Amino acid sequence: MRAALAVSSLLRNRARTALAVAGIAVATAMLLDMVMLASGMRLSFRDLLDARGFQIRLSPKGTLPFDTEATVGDASALVAAVAAVPGVAVVAPNLGAQLIAPRADGAITVAAIGVVPEVQGDFALRDGRLPQSGEVVASPAALQALSRSLGDTVTIADGWDPQLRTVREAVVRRIVGVGRFYYLGADQPVVALPLSDLQASAQGARADRISSAMVRIAPGRGVDEVAAAIGRTAPRVSVLTTAEAVSQADERLAYFRNLAFILGSVSLAVGFLLIATLMTVSVNERIGEIAVQRAIGVAASRIVQQIVVEGLLLSLLGGVIGLGLGLLTARYLDHILGAFPGLPPEIAFFVFQPRDAFTSLGLLLLAGTFAGVLPAYRAARLPIATALREEAVA
Amino acid sequence: MLHALSALAPLAAALAFQLPPQLPTVALDERMRTDLGLAIGDTVELAAASGAPGQRMVISAFTRRTADPSEVARAEYKVRVHLTDLQALLRYGDRVDRFAVVTHDSSAREAAVRAINARAFGFRAYPSADIAVETGRTFAVINRFHRAIGVITILASAIFLLCIMLLRVEERRREIATLRLIGLSRRTVERAIVVEAAAIAALGAFVGTGLGAVVSAVVNRHYQALYRTPLVFSLVTPDVIALAVALSVVLGLGAGWLAARRLTGRAPLTLLGR
Repeated sequence: MRAALAVSSLLRNRARTALAVAGIAVATAMLLDMVMLASGMRLSFRDLLDARGFQIRLSPKGTLPFDTEATVGDASALVAAVAAVPGVAVVAPNLGAQLIAPRADGAITVAAIGVVPEVQGDFALRDGRLPQSGEVVASPAALQALSRSLGDTVTIADGWDPQLRTVREAVVRRIVGVGRFYYLGADQPVVALPLSDLQASAQGARADRISSAMVRIAPGRGVDEVAAAIGRTAPRVSVLTTAEAVSQADERLAYFRNLAFILGSVSLAVGFLLIATLMTVSVNERIGEIAVQRAIGVAASRIVQQIVVEGLLLSLLGGVIGLGLGLLTARYLDHILGAFPGLPPEIAFFVFQPRDAFTSLGLLLLAGTFAGVLPAYRAARLPIATALREEAVA
Repeated sequence: MLHALSALAPLAAALAFQLPPQLPTVALDERMRTDLGLAIGDTVELAAASGAPGQRMVISAFTRRTADPSEVARAEYKVRVHLTDLQALLRYGDRVDRFAVVTHDSSAREAAVRAINARAFGFRAYPSADIAVETGRTFAVINRFHRAIGVITILASAIFLLCIMLLRVEERRREIATLRLIGLSRRTVERAIVVEAAAIAALGAFVGTGLGAVVSAVVNRHYQALYRTPLVFSLVTPDVIALAVALSVVLGLGAGWLAARRLTGRAPLTLLGR
C-alpha cells in the first residue's frame, strides 16, 4: 500500500521524477566508478603479482624490484642461501638489461630479461618453447619492431662502440618462443634469455649478478615467517612480500585513491541533495493532501513511511540504472588510463567486484533514506487544521 | 644511475674543522636534512651498493625537490655529486648517461641536432621539446582522464541544475498563473524565469568558484606537505574560472528556459488547479 502510494506520487510528476532518476543515476555511476577506482589498481596489481604463484620478491637493499638499475653480486651464493631457507620452494632469479637490436634502418633498444627458464615467473609462453642457451623468447612488440617471427634469428648487442662505429658484443640468437611479459608494457620490445647468457655479456660486468629474485614458498608456510627468515639469511637484499609490494604501489598511487574519495563523496552529496530537494518540494506541494490523510485518521508514522519509501524508490531506480551506466563509464575511463606508457596490460584501474556495486547502491540508498527523513518529519508534524484552512483558501 | 645510491649510509656528524680538506663534496636532498638530522659540513659515506666500499663526502648544500610530477610519489632521496666523483664511485669509467647541449639561439637547434646525429655513433641527439613530449605522455593520459571526469561532472551538474530549476519553477506555478491572468505575456514570464535562473546560476558559480579556490588551497597544502614537494597540484586559473562561470550560466539559462517553457505551455487556470 505504502509502496503503491509512493509510486503513484512519483508518477504524478513524470518529468520531474525522470530528471531526478537521471541525476541519481549519474551520481551513482560516478560513485561506483570511484569505488572501483579506489580499490581496482590495488586488486589488479595484487593479482598480477600473484599470477605466477610467487609470494616474495628480493631486490638490492633499499630498492624495489626493477625500480632502479641496481644489481646484486655473488648471485649464485645468494640464490643458494635463499633456496636453503626453510619454507622456500622455488627461487627464480632474474637480471634486467637494455640491449641493442640492429635492424635495416638503424637499431632499437630492447629490454632483456635473463631468467632461469624452468622456474621463471616473468612471462607466459604464447607460442613456441622456453629458451636454452643461444635462444630467446620475444614479445610480440619485439617481433613487430624487428620484423621477425618465431624461428627467425635476431642480432642483439650489448651497446655501441663509438671508436669502431659499430655495435659491441653482437650475438645472434634464435627466437624459439613468443611470450606475454607480465610486468612490462604491451608495446615494449622485450626478449627473455637464459640468465647465464645475459650474465656472460657486457665484458663480464654482469657476471654472477641479478636484478631481483622471486620466491615461491612451500604450501602451508606463512609468507611473513619465511620473508623474515630470508631477511636474516640475506641481509644484502630487501625482502618484499606481495602485501608489502601492494602497499608500496598504493603509496605511489595515492593520487587516484584520494581522487576517488573526493569525487565519490561529491557524487554521494549530489545524490543526497537531489533526493532531499525533490522530497522537500514534493511534500510542500502535497501539504493539503497530507493534511487530509491525517484528518481522516492516517497515522503520522504511515505518512513518514510513505515519504521515506518514495525517496528510497527514487534512489533504487536511479541506483540500478546508475550501476549499468557506471560499468560503461568505468570501461571507458579504464581504456583512457590503460594508455599509460609502459603499463602492463594486466593492470586495470577499474576492477568490478560485486561488493563495489553493493557498496555504491547501499550508500545511495542510505543517502536516499536520510534525504527523505527531514521532509517526512515535517509532514508528520503538520498542524492539520491550519494546513487544511490554508489549502482551502489557496 | 643516481638511484643506485639509495644505499646511502650517513656517518656520525663530524665537525668541519675535523674534516680532511681533500674530501669531495655532495649536495643532498633537502628532506635528508630533517629525516636524517644532517647539516652542511657533515660527512656522509656514499656507496654504489649496500655493503660495498664507499666514499666519504662533505655535505656542501641541500637541494629542494623540483616540481616534477613524475617524481612526486617517489620516496627515495636524490643526491648530486661531481661527475668525476660519481664515475669513480661506480667504476663507470669515462662514461655518461646523457649530456645537454645549449645552442646560441633556437634557430641553431635543428642544425645542431642534425650535425650531431650525422657525426655521432652510439647515441642520438633530441631537441628538448621532443623529450618533453615523450616524457609528457603520462600526463597526457592524466589530462584525458581528468577531461573525461570533467564531462561526467558537467553532465551531472546539468541534470542537477535542470531538476532544481524545474522544481523551483513548478513550486511557483500559482504565482506564474496569477501573473499570466493579470495580463503578463507568456514571453515576459519566460524571460523573467530565465533571468532568475541565470542569476541563480551566476550566484552559484560565484560561490562555487570561492569554494573551489578554498578546496584547491587545501588540496595543495595537504599534498605538498604529504609529498614534500613544491609541485602545485590544483591550479585555479582565470581560464578555469571563466569556463566554470560560463558553463554554469549557460546551463542555468538552458535549464530555466526548459522549465519556463514547460510551465507557460499550460493554461493559467490549469496551473491553478481549476
